[in-house]
Amino acid sequence: MARFLLWRSAAALVTMLLASIVVFAMVRAVPGDIVETMMGQMGSSEGEAALRRFFGLDQPVHVQYLDWLGRVVTGDFGTSWRQGSPVATLVLNAFAVSFQLAFLVLVLSSLVGVPLGLVAGYRAGGALDTAIQAFNVLFLATPVFWLALMLLFGASTFLHWSPPTIYMGPLRALGQNLVILLLPMLSLAFLQIAAYAQFVRQHVIEAMRQDYVRALRARGVPSAAILRRHVLRNILVPLITFMGLIFIQILGGVVVIESLFGLPGLGRLLVNALYARDFPVVQGALVMVLISAILINLLVDVAYRAIDPRLRT
Amino acid sequence: MSAALIRLRRNPALAIGSVLALCIAVVALFPGLFAPRSPVAIDMGRALQPPSAAFWFGTDHVGRDIFSRVVHGARVTLGIVGGSLALSALIGGLSGMVAGYLRGLTDLVSGQFIAVILSFPPIFLGVMITGILGSNVANLVLALAVVYLPLFFRAARSAAMVECARPYVEAAQVLGLGDGRVVFRHLLPNVVPAILTQYIILFPLALQIQAALGFLGLGVQPPTPDWGASLQESKDYVLFASWTAIFPGLALIVSSLAVILIGRGLQSRD
Amino acid sequence: MKDNLTIDRRRLLQGAAAVPLLSLFGVPLMATGARADDAMLYGAGDPAAKRGGTLTVGSLIEPPSFDIYHQAGEAVNFVAPLMYQTLVYADHDGNPHPLLAESWEVSDDVTVYTFRLREGVTFHTGQPLEAADVKYSLDYMRDPENGTIGALDFADVAGVEAVDPRTVRVTLSKPNSAFLITLTHRNASVIPRDWFAGEGARAALNRQSVGTGPFKLAEFVQNSYMRLERNPDYWQPELPYLDEIVVNFIPNSAGMLVAVRNGRVDMAVLVRPQDAEQLEGVGNLTVQRSRSLNQKSLDLDSTYGPLSDERVRKAIALLVDKEAVMQAAISGYGQVLGTMVPGMQERWGVPLDELATQKVDVEQAKALLAEAGHPDGIDLELRTIIGYDWMEPAALALVQQLAQGGVRAQIQRLDLGTWLQNFRARQMGFTLNDWGTPPDPNILYYRHFHQRPEGADFRNWDNAEASRLLDAGRQAKAFEERKAIYAEFQKLLSESAPTVMMFGADHIVVVSDAVKNHAMHPIGWHFGLVKTWLDR
Repeated sequence: MARFLLWRSAAALVTMLLASIVVFAMVRAVPGDIVETMMGQMGSSEGEAALRRFFGLDQPVHVQYLDWLGRVVTGDFGTSWRQGSPVATLVLNAFAVSFQLAFLVLVLSSLVGVPLGLVAGYRAGGALDTAIQAFNVLFLATPVFWLALMLLFGASTFLHWSPPTIYMGPLRALGQNLVILLLPMLSLAFLQIAAYAQFVRQHVIEAMRQDYVRALRARGVPSAAILRRHVLRNILVPLITFMGLIFIQILGGVVVIESLFGLPGLGRLLVNALYARDFPVVQGALVMVLISAILINLLVDVAYRAIDPRLRT
Repeated sequence: MSAALIRLRRNPALAIGSVLALCIAVVALFPGLFAPRSPVAIDMGRALQPPSAAFWFGTDHVGRDIFSRVVHGARVTLGIVGGSLALSALIGGLSGMVAGYLRGLTDLVSGQFIAVILSFPPIFLGVMITGILGSNVANLVLALAVVYLPLFFRAARSAAMVECARPYVEAAQVLGLGDGRVVFRHLLPNVVPAILTQYIILFPLALQIQAALGFLGLGVQPPTPDWGASLQESKDYVLFASWTAIFPGLALIVSSLAVILIGRGLQSRD
Repeated sequence: MKDNLTIDRRRLLQGAAAVPLLSLFGVPLMATGARADDAMLYGAGDPAAKRGGTLTVGSLIEPPSFDIYHQAGEAVNFVAPLMYQTLVYADHDGNPHPLLAESWEVSDDVTVYTFRLREGVTFHTGQPLEAADVKYSLDYMRDPENGTIGALDFADVAGVEAVDPRTVRVTLSKPNSAFLITLTHRNASVIPRDWFAGEGARAALNRQSVGTGPFKLAEFVQNSYMRLERNPDYWQPELPYLDEIVVNFIPNSAGMLVAVRNGRVDMAVLVRPQDAEQLEGVGNLTVQRSRSLNQKSLDLDSTYGPLSDERVRKAIALLVDKEAVMQAAISGYGQVLGTMVPGMQERWGVPLDELATQKVDVEQAKALLAEAGHPDGIDLELRTIIGYDWMEPAALALVQQLAQGGVRAQIQRLDLGTWLQNFRARQMGFTLNDWGTPPDPNILYYRHFHQRPEGADFRNWDNAEASRLLDAGRQAKAFEERKAIYAEFQKLLSESAPTVMMFGADHIVVVSDAVKNHAMHPIGWHFGLVKTWLDR
């Protein structure tokens, strides 16, 4: 296990490093820089040059990269060029918003989706299964942002209600926080419930086909017990892998609908910083995304090994 | 033919999906036959009219016929998704096959490259590529192709590795047949089905990402009647003219549905 | 002193009727000198005003930062005047009034401006305002080495002198009769001396304000909201009426409209005026509509392909149906322009029927194109900026109109950064543009249309006659003389068409019934909130 962890972490580190070069190269490939948007239409050329010097933009790109990397390794992500506040704070605050929403969606969709999948798989072919499958297919086909638009429209038109406009973190005002996140959570949850239900159904059907499950049923063991003791345990490992994948997918969905609901999350931070050419923030946000994606994959791999005895050596 | 029909009858998912896909394909290929009006001609005098006999899906904020835009959008949207996935399948499939066959350093290097792409969640990668290169059809295709490249690469690579383990490939190598011949004669026919399966699985996902990028304003240039771009334009009117958002969204749903059903139908064949 | 009393009384007695008169007399008054007339600052007061309360404002745009000296952008302009003050304030009609100055004297050759400062003004930092602070602020801003955004506005300042603690003398290297209006822009805000010498001073401006204005920055949360609090030590003791202003940044119109409709915000500035239509008939809301100093234009870079030929530019101008573009872009919530922004048309503008290329004439356009060697028409790329909502429908309408004369335009959407890069590199191409101005024709035209190096000449127009007129207009002192010069310039502008000024969008502000005495300043900055109050 230790060797696996070490090897797996080393691979993740190499990926991280390469990805950081890609991030930096992509960001510097953006046409224009912050000086343009800061100065607007009325800048002077001396002023531009002065600002470029101020931000270190007059240095060669590889020098800028190494400089940045050197500081990132020590945990210093620099400061926002627009606001002077630390990038780490900006990114972590935004990430917390996206992460909380994604986490809520993950919990909600697994709480609803897994039982749906179990029922559908256990009674495969029945009327309930058909209904659940229809639900799955429909919501797998529905774009999240479209559902979000429809929910916003529906709530405002039929309920004369809209979410509060100022985001509040859960620590500051939990009630208002949940109220704000209600519609975004629903918009994202349907797709993931469908994904869970489909995934679990598939695995239940496969598990039920196993010889020992058949034997148990033949011996008259109650089906609920079979489901709980044998089938569920069997799908736990793939389910964890799946959760990792889904979490990254939810984060992507969060990014698309954030600005619709005015949430100060990672996607809005990234897009706004990209438009303003606030490179330290863009880089910081992307690195945060990368770290979380790579970490989640790593965790999934490790959890996979820890749970499944067959993979232990 | 009749065997195929019987199979369709036994497999309603495949049947419904195929019929839907066929209809959509016809609309996408010959939009002129179905659209009563120009998808781009604006007329401020009839802006934001609700659905009626004259305008089945209503009109948008500059008075364009939404039905005609949805019809013409089929070719644009599905063409971009289909085309970029094909490009992705070609490059990813070929390189994956070669990596799976050669193994060694080639495999290691390309694998690392793929891992880097995979470490970006798709939507972030799409936002960055279209955001940096500028939003137009070519860059959108490129972005989607890059996003899905790793998945084709992996599918082709594992299919190739399975084939390589078979005795006849070893035999061919022993007989001194060139790498090229082995790859194209023996591996390709076995890798292609894996790629096609992947294509069908990824199509609805790519459609969602394409639409999401369009919705973020990073898609095609106006006045191209892309569905995602139409939704982007309509999002500011949804509260008071919901039809502007409902119909392009339904078009997206129906198209995804068709491909998902086909995919499921094919899966449950065995 | 006597002079001013007369004006004061005239204003009080005649009310609104005095405005056109003042427009005429405002300028001579400005050239000789002026004294404080505080009642007119920030719009009309309200004797019935109740103090207190928190006003919640929805805003589609967000200031990237509050570093007012280094960060350009309308979003900063909107709120900066609430926290920072300049020597001069321009009222709704464009007349200068003393703000941090108490009075001023202008030399006969319009090169020396001497300001007497108010007493008892303190910065948010607690320091009292003195002449040295004004000198520091203007000197810092005009030194391009500091990377300031307004350096070019003050390029002709030869020296700033603190004569005594309450007297500042500004000497210009060239006569400039518009200098007082230049000083009304937030670029000329006065901050405590040596502020930027401090460590992290730029970033600190996002946490605290250091101006003299009626509100102080209390909190700024990026991508979310900002909160302003009353400045308890403000030098006009009866102001502001409000205790607190919270500005919510709502990134899309749909969210903004539901927020207004469901009472989540008290006030919303609608960047897309047509959204007002969507709020018609909603109870408890009032839609305020007023003229602006803004213009939406179609710019033609004279070095971009066929546009180098004046006949081609003129042909394009003849194909543009301004009314129809305005209808498409903002549902008609604005004013069609000739060559002057709406808020200055009455005072400075040439009537539209005296200008060239104001009426659509497809046949003449085709003839001009053929004459220029393009009988089969031309192909152009029409640029729009992502995030400017009006541009897309406007571009769609323009493409259709231009096609009638054989000008085939392809829309190209650019993000603001890329667009600005092109613009400042003087490679703007064929593009839609959106800009505003403080109320003086010199400020409106000089940078944009004067030849280089004195002007920036973004459109590569390189027109010597235009430059001559712009120089003359800047030096002339008397209003009538200036007006005649700028009229000539406007005629030239319409003939040669380096730009087609299409329309100005009206300011549309939606307020709930609790919001009282709010009037939007034509420039669109939130001066009016100083005298707004809440009746709850």
